[in-house]
Amino acid sequence: MSFMQPIPVKYACSCGILNPINKLFFCRHCPKLRCGYCVCHEIESHFCSNCLENIPSSEARHKKNCCANCFDCPCCQHTLSARATTVAVVRKPDEAKDKEAQSGAGGESGSTTPLKPSSVPATKKMYYLSCLSCRWTTRDVGIPDQGVATGTWPDNECLYQLRFNSLLEYYQSVVLQEKQDRQEFLRRKSPKQHKFPSLTDRTGLTVSLIRRQIGWNEKTLPKSKPISISPTEATADVEQLPPDIFTEPLNLRQVTTIAQRLSQPRDQPTAVGNLYPQRRSLWIKRSLRCRQCEHNLIKPEFHPTSIKYRIQLFASHHVPEVVMVRCEQPLKSGQKNAIVVKITNPTMYDMTIRILDALPEEEEQLTTEMLQQACKIKEEAVTSSPLLRAAGITLTRQNSTREIKREVNELSNTLIEPLESEFVLSQRDDSKEFDEDIQARSEIEEPKFIVWRKGNKVLLRLQFTPEATSKISDEVVLSFYMQYTYVNTVANTTEKKEPTTQALYSRLFIQAGAIEKE
Amino acid sequence: MPLYETVMQEKPPIVLDIGHAYTKLGFAAETCPRKIIPTKLVLTTTGQSKRLFDYERNEELHDQMVDFLQMIFFKHLLVSPKERKFVILENVFGQTVIRETLARVLFVHFDVSSVLFVPSHLMALSTLAAPTAVVVDIGYNETSIMPIFSGVQIMTAFKDQSYGGRAIHEEIKRQLLREGIIEGDDVALLTEIVLEDIKIRTCFVTTFERAQARLNTDGEQPTPPPSVDYAICDSNKVIQIPGLLRETVYELMFEETRERDSLPHLILRSILDCTMDVRRALVEGIFLIGGGSMVMGLVARLKQELQHLLQHDEIYKDRFHGALEFKFFPSICKQNYSLWLGGSLCGATDLIQMRSLAKEAYLKNEHVPDWSNLCDNNRHAGS
Repeated sequence: MSFMQPIPVKYACSCGILNPINKLFFCRHCPKLRCGYCVCHEIESHFCSNCLENIPSSEARHKKNCCANCFDCPCCQHTLSARATTVAVVRKPDEAKDKEAQSGAGGESGSTTPLKPSSVPATKKMYYLSCLSCRWTTRDVGIPDQGVATGTWPDNECLYQLRFNSLLEYYQSVVLQEKQDRQEFLRRKSPKQHKFPSLTDRTGLTVSLIRRQIGWNEKTLPKSKPISISPTEATADVEQLPPDIFTEPLNLRQVTTIAQRLSQPRDQPTAVGNLYPQRRSLWIKRSLRCRQCEHNLIKPEFHPTSIKYRIQLFASHHVPEVVMVRCEQPLKSGQKNAIVVKITNPTMYDMTIRILDALPEEEEQLTTEMLQQACKIKEEAVTSSPLLRAAGITLTRQNSTREIKREVNELSNTLIEPLESEFVLSQRDDSKEFDEDIQARSEIEEPKFIVWRKGNKVLLRLQFTPEATSKISDEVVLSFYMQYTYVNTVANTTEKKEPTTQALYSRLFIQAGAIEKE
Repeated sequence: MPLYETVMQEKPPIVLDIGHAYTKLGFAAETCPRKIIPTKLVLTTTGQSKRLFDYERNEELHDQMVDFLQMIFFKHLLVSPKERKFVILENVFGQTVIRETLARVLFVHFDVSSVLFVPSHLMALSTLAAPTAVVVDIGYNETSIMPIFSGVQIMTAFKDQSYGGRAIHEEIKRQLLREGIIEGDDVALLTEIVLEDIKIRTCFVTTFERAQARLNTDGEQPTPPPSVDYAICDSNKVIQIPGLLRETVYELMFEETRERDSLPHLILRSILDCTMDVRRALVEGIFLIGGGSMVMGLVARLKQELQHLLQHDEIYKDRFHGALEFKFFPSICKQNYSLWLGGSLCGATDLIQMRSLAKEAYLKNEHVPDWSNLCDNNRHAGS
């Protein structure tokens, strides 16, 4: 696996986007490749990335997605840490007097040596927040030290909260009145026509009369009047430029940057002295869900400290992994060449693999049909065939999310020679990894395209010809279809319990490199 | 109804104001946006950082929008967009393709339940509870002016010009190059981020008197403010930003041209495009919003310029009568999120149920109703 560099082998996801295998997922129920774009992301749990505490979603919502204990530095956005200092406590007068009396009783030396071995030093632990990255502390901006490390740090208040509340109330009442007016208008415009004449209509016993007899109040709600609000007054005297701006040198250290301002969206202070520690934003764990069948593809473990998954359907655990090894000759346009690729079977079952240059016809028809079907609005999906009906049911359950699929971008500029026969790739067996002996398969005649084979890995030689029209330093892209048998252990239907074997197709693109000079 | 309201309270609508430079995001009925983030995204395919509205093909915009919104939902707001209600602040004269793409991404990709598109100038005014004002939005890409009378936007009097944050950045760069402070390969150091930092930390709008004195090239020039030594971030270079630059970069908003399209001219022309009865009310209520209006000294300068034009310019002298004094509305919050705050107020009312574009309605014909489209806006067609 190539590390820290672009991966030359890309798989076409079922949605049409190319991705390396480590970014793909495999839905066992569909069974298809999925990528981050075509799955549904969901929020699994909230946690603080600093204290790694799990925070329930209702609490997170209440706390505005901020951690209650952790703060970010307003200066450099690093995490602040609480530091403890010991402060001498100023004693209350009577306490001090007591001490004085004690020291007076002790002897004259009390005034010269205030700390006697018997007296406990009157100190208290106080905390302040400090940034270990830029050395900013809460003392810089005059926030008093706190007696407890967490929980008591003041939040700066919203200055216009009251005004905002009255505005909110005002608009809510305005809209409510508009709504009532409209309902009233509609009621008058089209009087209710009942299919059957009501009994009360004949007897003259109207609803309002009955209500009054029972002693209920009138059904019609009292019309709400919008609350009056005093609009903001425009003023003619506006803020003038401070005159010393033309003479005083500007100290950039005192002026905040845009990132510092925006980290405090409400105040956006321009002076460094007004920066306040900001509560740290929470992070989330995501789970991924297939849009087609609504099964989970990825579900992380709940606890924030765990990096494991409860459900993990990464493509690299199910789809044979193709790694490019080398090209046999320098790449030249129009010249026959061969590429060596390594294919690994990650599953616990033997796979039969074929390399094709195009999809077999019926399969192609199926995919285009599916593409068309996906593009159509799936309202009349339910048809007579039971299989399709089952599909229809899943479609209705899945309520929309009909992401429009796109055709795979045709990048290939080479002619590839499909392999003449299929071959079997044996299952993954971790114990075989360490076997040194020659494998048992050697007596069987190997097809000649196989270069090397060990366990679940095989090296293949694929012949291809770059297009004659491609120029020097053009990127050579190979494209082929890989058909592989996949043993699906998930029972799609209730009748069948035993694993089924399916032949699946993946389209792959390999960036072999650039055309070299003659 | 009460049950429904509790459901509503549990899931407040998401309010988004996607600007060209910064995106303001948060929840309805809150007093400030949760985050203000640059409208940039990291492409999942190549890993490079890019502005959202830099695109060539529409599919590119679609993919970028998906990536960008994905980041907003899962990195900043931390809510699932599924079955949510949305309030989107939009420019009345914004591009149709952006609005259609946004709707498609929200409804089809993210499966949201409803989207309420609200006109941004009107929403900004709602934070004042005042019915009449000239709303001047100084953004990154452009400055736009919309007079509003009694809560109705006077569309015919809408004006916009291309000077905004971007133009100021270019002016700073031009002046630095002209003065020879930055030479040769160092131009690459002047990224948008650096220019923006220089702008907001050192520059201001000078006073009317000093600007007039500067225009008079023969007379005595006022002494420029002190220069500033500025260390460029992520490099060892320290440049000296001349005082003249600090004082004069914003002059491009006030430059007198034949086109009469400087900011004060634009405001006056916009007011003149309204009927005579409403002009006085508009003159006495100018509301500056947008990140560009937060610069020091802008309001004072604008007021003096407007008063000066009213008294000395031939055209305006003939058309404005009586003693007029320009008045400015103080914003209740920082101006760069006034729009968002209006959206937050709007999203907290029942309008979100009455006027929203629901998913079912959208999916029926995959189209967002638009006032400029006669298929939707057929009130005058007599139907």
